[in-house]
Amino acid sequence: MKQDSIQRPLLEVSNLTLKHRATSGATTILRDVSMKLHRGEILGLIGESGAGKSTLGNAILGLLTPEFERTAGTILFNGQALESMDERQWDAIRGRRISAVFQDHTASLDPLMTIGAQLEETIRATDGNVSAHQARARAFDLLVRVGIPNPHERYASFPHQFSGGQRQRVVIAIALAGTPQIIVADEPTSALDATVQKQILRLLRELVDETGVSVILVTHDMGVVAEITDKVVVMKRGEVVEADTTSTILDDPRKGYTRRLLAAVPRLRVRSCEQSDNRSSTDREMGSDAEAPILIVQGVTKTFSGQGFPWFRKHTRKLALRNVSVRLARGAITGIVGESGSGKSTVGRIIAGLETAGEGTLDIDGTSYDISLPGQRSGLLGRVQMIFQDPAVSLNPRMSVAETLQESVRFGSRRPLGARPDVATMMERLGLAQSLLARYPHQLSGGQKQRVCIARALLAGPQIIVADEPTSALDVSVQAEIAKLLKEMVTEQAVSMLFISHDLALVQELCSSVYIFKEGVVEDAGSSEFIFSRSRNSYTRSLIDARPRRFTY
Amino acid sequence: MKVETIRALWKRPTRKSVSLSKLLLATYILLALVAPIIAPQNPHDPLQIYAWEASSPPLAMGGGGYTYLLGTDGLGRDIVSTILYGLRISLVVSITSTAIAALIGVAAGVSAAYFGKWVDVVIMRIVDLQLSLPTILVALIAIVTLGPGIDRIILAIIIVQWAVYARIARGVALSEISKSYLDAARLQRLPTRRVIFRHLLPNSIAPAITLVPIELGHAVALEATLSFLGLGVPIDKPSLGSTVASGFQYLLTGQYWISLFPGLALFGLIASINFVGEDVRRLLDPRNRSI
Amino acid sequence: MSIITTVGGRLSQAFLLLLVMSLIGFVGIHSVGNPVYNIVNIETATTEDIRRATIALGLDQPLWQQYLLFLKNVVTGNFGTSYIYHLPAFDLVMSKLPATFELASIAMLIAAPTGIMLGLLAGRRHGSSVDRNVLKASVSALSIPSFWLSMMLIMLGAVILGWFPSGGRGATVSLFSREWSFLTLDGLRHLTLPALALAVPNIALIARLARSGTIEMESQDFTRFCRAKGLSSRRILFRHTLPNISVPIVTIVGMQFGGMLAFAVVVETIFAWPGVGKLLIDSIQLLDRPVLMATLTFVSVAFVGLNAIVDLFYAVLDPRVRLSA
Repeated sequence: MKQDSIQRPLLEVSNLTLKHRATSGATTILRDVSMKLHRGEILGLIGESGAGKSTLGNAILGLLTPEFERTAGTILFNGQALESMDERQWDAIRGRRISAVFQDHTASLDPLMTIGAQLEETIRATDGNVSAHQARARAFDLLVRVGIPNPHERYASFPHQFSGGQRQRVVIAIALAGTPQIIVADEPTSALDATVQKQILRLLRELVDETGVSVILVTHDMGVVAEITDKVVVMKRGEVVEADTTSTILDDPRKGYTRRLLAAVPRLRVRSCEQSDNRSSTDREMGSDAEAPILIVQGVTKTFSGQGFPWFRKHTRKLALRNVSVRLARGAITGIVGESGSGKSTVGRIIAGLETAGEGTLDIDGTSYDISLPGQRSGLLGRVQMIFQDPAVSLNPRMSVAETLQESVRFGSRRPLGARPDVATMMERLGLAQSLLARYPHQLSGGQKQRVCIARALLAGPQIIVADEPTSALDVSVQAEIAKLLKEMVTEQAVSMLFISHDLALVQELCSSVYIFKEGVVEDAGSSEFIFSRSRNSYTRSLIDARPRRFTY
Repeated sequence: MKVETIRALWKRPTRKSVSLSKLLLATYILLALVAPIIAPQNPHDPLQIYAWEASSPPLAMGGGGYTYLLGTDGLGRDIVSTILYGLRISLVVSITSTAIAALIGVAAGVSAAYFGKWVDVVIMRIVDLQLSLPTILVALIAIVTLGPGIDRIILAIIIVQWAVYARIARGVALSEISKSYLDAARLQRLPTRRVIFRHLLPNSIAPAITLVPIELGHAVALEATLSFLGLGVPIDKPSLGSTVASGFQYLLTGQYWISLFPGLALFGLIASINFVGEDVRRLLDPRNRSI
Repeated sequence: MSIITTVGGRLSQAFLLLLVMSLIGFVGIHSVGNPVYNIVNIETATTEDIRRATIALGLDQPLWQQYLLFLKNVVTGNFGTSYIYHLPAFDLVMSKLPATFELASIAMLIAAPTGIMLGLLAGRRHGSSVDRNVLKASVSALSIPSFWLSMMLIMLGAVILGWFPSGGRGATVSLFSREWSFLTLDGLRHLTLPALALAVPNIALIARLARSGTIEMESQDFTRFCRAKGLSSRRILFRHTLPNISVPIVTIVGMQFGGMLAFAVVVETIFAWPGVGKLLIDSIQLLDRPVLMATLTFVSVAFVGLNAIVDLFYAVLDPRVRLSA
């Protein structure tokens, strides 16, 4: 590391300023940005949405669309000025000297071409002297190197036959095919589950250490930065806030913005409390049993039928949930954790009456509902309110905030007219200014939209709220605010909440008890303290291990 | 949304060709409106037509005291007047049929998406059946079954076009239904009517609107084609298409004006509608919006 | 298995389609006009003549019985005898098929490559003057009514320039016991104008589709990654973009080809091209029911068949369809 800093940097961005020209006028996307990248180094570019980090990545790759205009600054790569190159010159750089890995592994690969052919194509495009035979041999080596099992068998497979993690490994292999000196990795693991994410990051680190390639890692996730980067550049609204080694940024951040970003990252506590030793590990008490749970779900099983003609359908049936039982204590927040495809959202939708299930029973506050019937008919619909993942599609784009909220009071509320909560009071409590009432969803920020969604759910006066990943589409700093708000609301409004999430730390922060879902089955369950500190379940452990160590205590 | 849409259409700076097509379309509509006032002759009135002046070339002096600027057709009707009156018929037929087809189609498509089950199956089976056949074939079958006449042509065009709207409206409505705001609406136990008219319909209608100008162009062309084939408007009330058709037999003997000028007028009409439609489509395409 | 499902689904849908089509067509045709008057001489015929003709045509039976009889006959390949030509209706359609088929084929051979090249060219330079001109030209071309285009082609090519004949098939050569025009020079001269008239709107349609597909592909992460990994833009265009936009293009080519078998109605009428389309419109005007039903059935079968072939093409082109288990 120390020798590196003496060397001349491989890539040096100096005082780069970029403007984006649109019909509505020009906006500055990057302002006076400078950074240095050395050989064999992983540099993290971190920032929230709108920080300009992806634009910087594209500028380094020469992939900016014509609407972008450089008004000042240089990008020097091995002494060459990249910023003034034409397309012909870029052809000698891209793939051969600087390559890329993008977030969407599905969109990165040609669905109509075998992965072997895509690798060979890249090898031959970046090296004119290589024979077909040599290209094939090198393609095999690359697949082995990125950890694709049985490369000989998988060579002629198409992208859709791989899992997400394997597809991203193939993309990395393709990025390495031209033996580049720099790889720009734009959110390479954001579309992957935490356990897979960890493996891909490890692979990147190994490749850097082995081949001496340098990586620019564009990310919004402080956990990713903490995990593998050597240096960090923190960006905000097109400007560099702070740049230093990773350990300095994490341990001793100078700027307030960096400190705030770090503080917003949820931390996971895995060390057990003091008196835990004298409890047996089978002790899984789920809060006090003094009161009956408000929600009891038992033995829920659901299958999704596949598409196609009736006589083929049974072969394509998928078991979405198998014998799932969940309890929610009065006034508590219970977490449901799982990776994508674990059935955690399906359970939430069944409880809200939005979907039916083949088998199982559901009791809310002593009343039983038949969940094999559609929610309207069983009377379940409306007893439970939901807060959804993506605020961008959770509000009717053609209705103003006032209309949305008034509708909830008028139609959604089960309380008598006089006892209904007031829109204005609720808005104030949730930190929404009255001036927002006349606005339409596209005029609100993500955080504001999600607050409106919370208000809508609460105004209906439910006993239970199901929150399905309510923070995962938001920036980190907003995430923390929304989580805090949810916790306060549960106490103030006397509701109970089912909190569905993939984020262990967030669940630990909010929930008193936790269910771990895996492939439609409840894999592990217990009090929050038990699950995170003492559970011996191997799947639970692997989820905890996949967390960045830096933010786990 | 309508206010937003109109504002978007109004505010956007337009390129030259676009404003040209808008100007042309506006002129067409204006001409159709004032046709009886400015046309030198009423081609629907046999008393104003002098049969002995049939097939007069352009600029020939007519017996009615005015010049046949574009000549006369095989029956002695002034081409300028025939174009003006034909324009009225073409526009009335196409606008009426497109409007009704859009209404029926959107209603059917949104209903199919919302109610699902057998409603969806029945509606979409019919739509699939129909869209899997060439439009001209459907139109021919319809017009053969319905018989001749202007109202029948309108009906035939509606039969041809409603399915296009139904398919697109269903697709959009389905994608809207999968969004969480409609789940939220269900959770609030809103009345069905409110869910459909307040939530689903306003959000499903925009793509159907972008289709209207395109389908309007198709309707003009379809009416003209049917009239050309002798299956459309009656001979004594010629539309642009049937005027062009009536000139076909004179074309080979060099009397080009009977087909050329009405055909040019028809081409200009369809082209101006299509260019305006193209513009509408581009403006309403969410990928082209700045926000 | 997916291919079997596709074919099975296609066939059952096709069968349903044909049944519905025949019913609508049958009822529809029977609701207008009485073909007896087209057969007997109206001036001289007595009531007795008309009665005998009606019985001879089977028109005295209730409609549903006529339909069942029709279905029964169709199963054995018998659509009845033309009222006008006194030939088996199905044979009549088959004898007109080569003319329509060669016309549609040549038109598509002109349209598909031209359209695809124009579309790729325009889409690749989205927003450039090339792109804008291709777009304008295609909107204009699609605005020309097909009958007027045909007439103007005759005016220009036959009347003014005199290079091409204004109608008919010209000299033909017998091949596979069918007559073809495209094998003789005179036949080709006769084919040129009608083929152009059919090709122009299709060039425009295919160009638009290829253009929007290319723009869509170029805007995706996929193309960005291809560039990032060092491929030349030429290779990206032909090796990645083109195969990926080929599915909608194959669809439209198939649909339009099927459409031409029917849409050729207009063009064939104007160019006096003795094909299926002209037969269809003639039989409508003459109320020649057996021929009309035979033509409609044939066009529907051809259209459904082409759609099925297009669906199979998907499976060949797209491994996601081919290999889904």
